[in-house]
Parts: sequence; structure tokens; C-alpha cells
Amino acid sequence: MPAFVPYLLHTLFPPTVLRPTEIGADVLIVATGVIIVTVLTRQKKWGWLWREWLTTVDHKRIAVMYLIAAIAMLFRGGVDALMMRTNLALPSVHFISAEEYNEVFTTHGTIMIFFMAMPLIFALFNAVIPLMIGARDVAFPRLNAVSFWLFAFGALLFNISFVVGGSPNAGWTAYPPLTELAFNPGPGENYYFLALFISGIGTTITGINFLVTILRMRAPGMTLMRMPLFAWTTLCTSALILFAFPPLTVALGTSLLDRLFHASFYTLGHGGMPMMYVNLFWLFGHPEVYIVVLPAFGIFSEVVPTFSRKPLFGYTAMVVSVVAIMVLSYGTWVHHFFTMGAGPSVNVFFGLSTMLIAIPTGVKIFNWIFTMWGGRIRLTVPMLYQLAFIPTFVVGGATGVLLATVPVDYQLHNTYFLVAHFHNTLIGGTVFGLLSGLYYWWPKMFGYKLDERQGKWAFWLFFLGFWVTFGPQYLLGLEGMTRRLWTYPLGLGWHALNLISTIGAYGMGAGFVVLVYNVVWSMQHGERDLTGDPWDGRTLEWSLPSPAPEYNFARIPVVTERDAWWAMKARGETTAVRVRPDEISALELPRNSAMPFFLGLGFFVLGFGLTFRWWWIAGLGLAGILGAMLWAGFDYEDRKHVHAEEIRRIEAALGRLEA
Amino acid sequence: MSVHRAPDAEEHLPYLEAHFESETRFPWIKVVGYAGSLVLTLVAFWAVSAHWMSPTALLAFILGLAVAQAALQLGVFMHLRESRGPSWQIAGLGLGLFIAVGLVGMSIWIMLFKSGVS
Ligand code: HEM
Ligand SMILES: [Cu+2]
Repeated sequence: MPAFVPYLLHTLFPPTVLRPTEIGADVLIVATGVIIVTVLTRQKKWGWLWREWLTTVDHKRIAVMYLIAAIAMLFRGGVDALMMRTNLALPSVHFISAEEYNEVFTTHGTIMIFFMAMPLIFALFNAVIPLMIGARDVAFPRLNAVSFWLFAFGALLFNISFVVGGSPNAGWTAYPPLTELAFNPGPGENYYFLALFISGIGTTITGINFLVTILRMRAPGMTLMRMPLFAWTTLCTSALILFAFPPLTVALGTSLLDRLFHASFYTLGHGGMPMMYVNLFWLFGHPEVYIVVLPAFGIFSEVVPTFSRKPLFGYTAMVVSVVAIMVLSYGTWVHHFFTMGAGPSVNVFFGLSTMLIAIPTGVKIFNWIFTMWGGRIRLTVPMLYQLAFIPTFVVGGATGVLLATVPVDYQLHNTYFLVAHFHNTLIGGTVFGLLSGLYYWWPKMFGYKLDERQGKWAFWLFFLGFWVTFGPQYLLGLEGMTRRLWTYPLGLGWHALNLISTIGAYGMGAGFVVLVYNVVWSMQHGERDLTGDPWDGRTLEWSLPSPAPEYNFARIPVVTERDAWWAMKARGETTAVRVRPDEISALELPRNSAMPFFLGLGFFVLGFGLTFRWWWIAGLGLAGILGAMLWAGFDYEDRKHVHAEEIRRIEAALGRLEA
Repeated sequence: MSVHRAPDAEEHLPYLEAHFESETRFPWIKVVGYAGSLVLTLVAFWAVSAHWMSPTALLAFILGLAVAQAALQLGVFMHLRESRGPSWQIAGLGLGLFIAVGLVGMSIWIMLFKSGVS
């Protein structure tokens, strides 16, 4: 046996990835892989997978791929959560070791924010925004695929850390000195920095893409103030991404230089300043929490009018408050490190600016309530999530204002009170919002509805499970239980509340299982959406068949007011979406491309090589990246021509052709 | 981008008739710009590793290089001089500058306490 084999084995599979949970994960991964490969081979689906999905640039298909990835990541992050809660269920449980606990909470937080919430948001952006504003695709379809593959390969790189080489263990915030090479020599933190770096590039590109799409590609007549609110929140989210991700990139890049090339930006011993990392991270981190919650605000602003049969109350105030939130959220980041000691004037300034955000947020809450007021409310699943969101998010915001009070924060910082606060906003806001949007737009994406009865079961499990899990955590925080605690002795009075919290967590786990069952069942038996407008919707996406054809609109609609589709229906002009054969002209559509996939792969290889400091692998990846970029630069065949006859045929099959 | 509309599409959106600087000759400006940005980067690297300026002078020098670098990137690669109708990109640039200067300024303010501590 050559000498490098044991070295290789030890580097790739150190003892930290050979614990029972990791072996279990190995078995699961191999089993799933074998099943997928067998099914694809048996049914001869490889070509189909490659041509129709992996190389697609169609925003609707990219949306589906984001969605699948996000649900897989929700599963992984959820299992991590249950492992933590199991360890905390009772005093002195040693279900997993302290080291493994560190890895699990790090992975949980990172995955839930970057690889669950973000892709789920992008899934809905992609699925809905072009249809909603009357466009045939996003502004840069091929870059859209690049975004997806950078995200997907970044996520893959992060996920393999669990079974190859060892997981990161310094929390989702990855502060130095916890990440300093001297104290944390394994590959884990390299995985973290590189994976976020790669997927962060993808996210930035997505931000640019949707900014341009919304500013440039709206249907004629759709002025900014006639845009649906989801388009507004997407616009503001994209702007936040554009300005918030660069500081993160800088923080990640400098940390990488420290770890890979012995720079000392953050190494105290060599005159570095770890506090600068904290500053940079939260310069990104606070806008990030609004990046994940603004889309939820947008979703509710679509769901509430539809299911109350009323236009949104106070449209202008809603727009102004979204923009205000966007601007204000750049100026509050110090509330994440009041205890660093920057002094009273800094802390007071940022405490007050944080509290200011509660005002536009409150405006929005009232406007949703006034929209429902006197409306004819239908209690569908999307609406239930909205109704659950209001009280839950209000509590999250209120505890946020408590934490923004500097003296209070000195007591509560990094206790379970904080943990409860941000889950209150992230689950009650982001997750409830995204689930609401998913149920709402599911028929548009797939052509069938998710079963309502099962959906309500999943809803109640999530909603009640949420409060049983996180309600007690506020009390635990007040009793002094700190976050990221591996285990605790009997006699501190924490055990009853912890047990309740764990029970709630398993309730949410059950909710996830019901959700997946709901999806699988509905694929077969769900009510088919033949009209394209199953909810009696108000905005343009409901004027299209479900799912929409590749080119979305055979003829781009002309918009004359807000809630364009509702207005057309009110005037009895729904036939206006039908087209006469002679109105259809040939189209140029973006052509599929394998370049984004290979670009992502190149980044993956580069990231893997750098993680283990195997420079030649990194070089290989870099060559792949440059190759893919050259390919992209000289590929002038990026469009395909679709004949009018072809479109006429599709429209006729959809029953939309005027005789 | 006009990818999504056929040349004979009936709708009429003014921005689709944008005019870009078309390049018929070899793009020398881009090549020179690229070389220039590499030089600016290398000079910054050299200035730090050569250790012959006082820290304050070094910071000022690097800051100057950074501004030059940004100007070069915007002018040569970011289509700053091209426009489709009103030059929105200038407004965007102003906003970007405003946010960047604000964030950097506030960060300096936040980090000032370090000098009192250490
Ligand atoms: C009115 C609204 C809000 C206020 C006043 C507020 C305030 C705060 C404050 C003061 C902290 C720091 C507490 C500490 O570390 O001791 C904090 C932490 C946090 N908040 Fe909020 N928040 C608000 C809304 C949100 C929203 C909408 C989200 C996400 C969707 C969110 C997510 C988080 C997260 C993730 C953390 C902690 C992260 C960590 O330390 O790991 N917050 N919030
Ligand atoms: Cu914050």
C-alpha cells in the first residue's frame, strides 16, 4: 500500500466523522444515492434530467430546483435541531458529545439561513416574479442558472463537511478567535468560509438579476406604483442583497486569508483585530435578517387581499414602509454586539435606530389587519399561516425591542431569550411566510393544489409546535440559561421547561413529515388546477395557465391599474388573455446551457482543494472556472428561435387560442 | 436585453431601443484597463510588504490607490459612460457611494473605542 493512502484516509475520514451519527448519515446518503441512480438508469432518465433540468435556464424550472434543494436542507437542519433538543431534553443527557454539539448547532444555523431560507426565497422569486410583472423570463436567464449552480455546489460543499474531513464548529457567525487556525486547525471552518463564499457569489448575482428584471422588464403600463407588493419586496430584498453581501464577502475572504495563507487580519497575537470581523459580519448580518423577512411581508401582502376579497389596505403606506425598513436596516447592526463595549454613545444610537424599525413594521401589521377587516375571509392554508404570523411576529418584534434596550441586552445577550427572539422572527416571519407562499403558488408552479386538510394538519403542528418549543425558551433565558450550551446539571430548575421545549420540537418535526406527505399525496391525488386561477387571484400570474408555458405570455399584457387581473375580471374582460392566431409572432427564447453547471462544478473543486490545502486540486478547479467563463464569453448561440406556429399549437392545446 | 422578444414583436418598449457603444475594433481600452487594475493591485501589495512608509502614510497611499482602482473599474468595465435614456446608473452610483461611505464612517466610529481600551 503506498504511503499516502493512510494519510489520505486519515485526512478525509478522521475520527470526528466516524461517530455513530456520521456513519448513519453515510448509510443514508449512499442508500439515497443508489436509489436515485437506479431509478434514473432503469427509466432511462439521465438524458432527460440533463437536458430538461440541469442545463435549463427557464426561471420556472430553476425555481423548482431551488425548492427541492431547500426542502432537503430543511430536513437536514431539522434533524440537527432535533439532535440538539434531544441532548437538552433532560439534565446531563449525553446523547451526543460536546464537540459534536458544537458542530451540530453551527451546521443548523448556517444551513437554515443560507441553504434553506435563501433558496426557498429564490424559489418563489423565480417562480412568481416574471409571471407577476408580465415578463417572459428574468433579465439574465443564463446568469440565473449560474446563481443556482453556485448556490447548489456551495451547499454541497458545506454539507459534505459532515462526512468528509469534519464539520465547522464555531457557530453560524464564525467569530475569531474560535476560527483562528491555531485554535481550530481542522478543515471544518475552511468548508464554512468557502461554501458561503461560493454561494454568496450566486446570491449577489440573483440580487442583481431581480433588480434589473423588476426595474426593466415590467409589462407596459405597470408603473412602479402599480406593481404587486411582492414585486416591491423583491426589489427591496435585492437591493439589500446587493449592499449587504459585500461586507460578508470581505469578512469571509479575510478569514480565509488568515487560515490558508497565515495573514493576520483577525489574529490578536499578530496585531489583528477580531472585533473588526464581528463588525463586518453584522454589517451583513442585520440586513440579512431583513433579506429573509421582507419576502415574507410581500407574500402576505398578496395572500391577504386574495383571501379577503379586498384590495390591499394602504398600498402606498405599505410601499413606503418596505422602503423605510430597507433603509433603516442598514443602520442597526451594532445591536448584535452591544456587549463588545463600544461605549454609550454608539450603543444608544444603534439601540434607538433598532427601535425605529418597529414603526414601519407596525404600519404593515395594521395594514394587513385592515385589509382583512370587513373582508370575506377564506381560511385556506396560506391564510392560516398569515393569521399565525401576526401574533407570532408581533411577539418576536416586541422582544427585539426589549433586546434593543442596551441595559436589558447586557442581561439577555446570548441567553435562550435571544434564541427565542430570533426564532420568533425567523420561524414566525420567514418560515410561516414562505410556507404560506408555497401553498399559495404551488398550483401555479405545478398545476395542482396541495391538499388542504393535510395542509391544515401540518400547519397546526408547526404553529403549536413552534410555541411549545420557543415559549419556554424565553423563560429559560430569563433564568440564565445561555445559548450554545451542550448540557446542564439537575438543580438549576431548567429541566421542566427544557423538556417541554423538546416536546414542541418533535411536534414541529411531525409537522415536517406531514408536509412532505402532503406534497407526495397531492402529486397523485391533488386537485388539478385547470383554470389557472384556483384562488380567484388578483395579479397577473393567475391569468396564465398552470403551469405557465415556457414563454409565459404569448402576448405581453397591457396593464392599466393595480391588481391587473382582478380588474380584468371585474370588467368581464378575461377573454383578453386569449390570443388570436394572427397576434402570435415568433419569439426568441434563451437557450439551455451546460456552462452554469460546469462553472459551479469548477467552484466546487476549487473550494474542496482549498479546504484541504491541496493546491493542485484547487488549480484544477480554477482552470475549470476560467474555462467555463471563456466558454460563456464566446458562446454567441445563447438564444433559440421559436416559430409562431409552435406557439399557436401550444396555446391551442391550452385552450387559449381564439377561434 | 432583447432576448425575449422577437424583432417583429408588436409591443413597444423604449428601453429596448437602447444604444450601446459597439466595438468594431480590437478593445484596446479594456486591455489597458485590465493591465492598469493589475498594476494598481500589485503596487498596493508591494507598498504593504515593503515597510518603508509610516502606517498613516501607507493607509493614505492605499486609499488613494483604491479610489483610482474604483474609478478605473467603473469607467472601463462598468459601462459608466453608456446610457439608455436617462443615466440611471449615476443615481445608482450615488446611492452606492452614500451607503458605502455611511457604513465605513459608522464602522470607524464604532471601532474608535479600541484606541481608548488598548
Ligand atoms: C422590530 C424588529 C426587531 C428588533 C427590534 C430586533 C432586535 C434584535 C436585537 C437587539 C438582537 C440582538 C440581541 C442580542 O444578541 O443580545 C437581535 C438578534 C437577532 N435577531 Fe432581531 N430584531 C428584530 C427583528 C428581527 C427579524 C425580522 C429577524 C429575522 C427574520 C431577526 C433575527 C435575529 C437574529 C437571527 C438574531 C441573532 C443572531 C445571533 O446572535 O446569532 N430579528 N434582534
Ligand atoms: Cu439585527
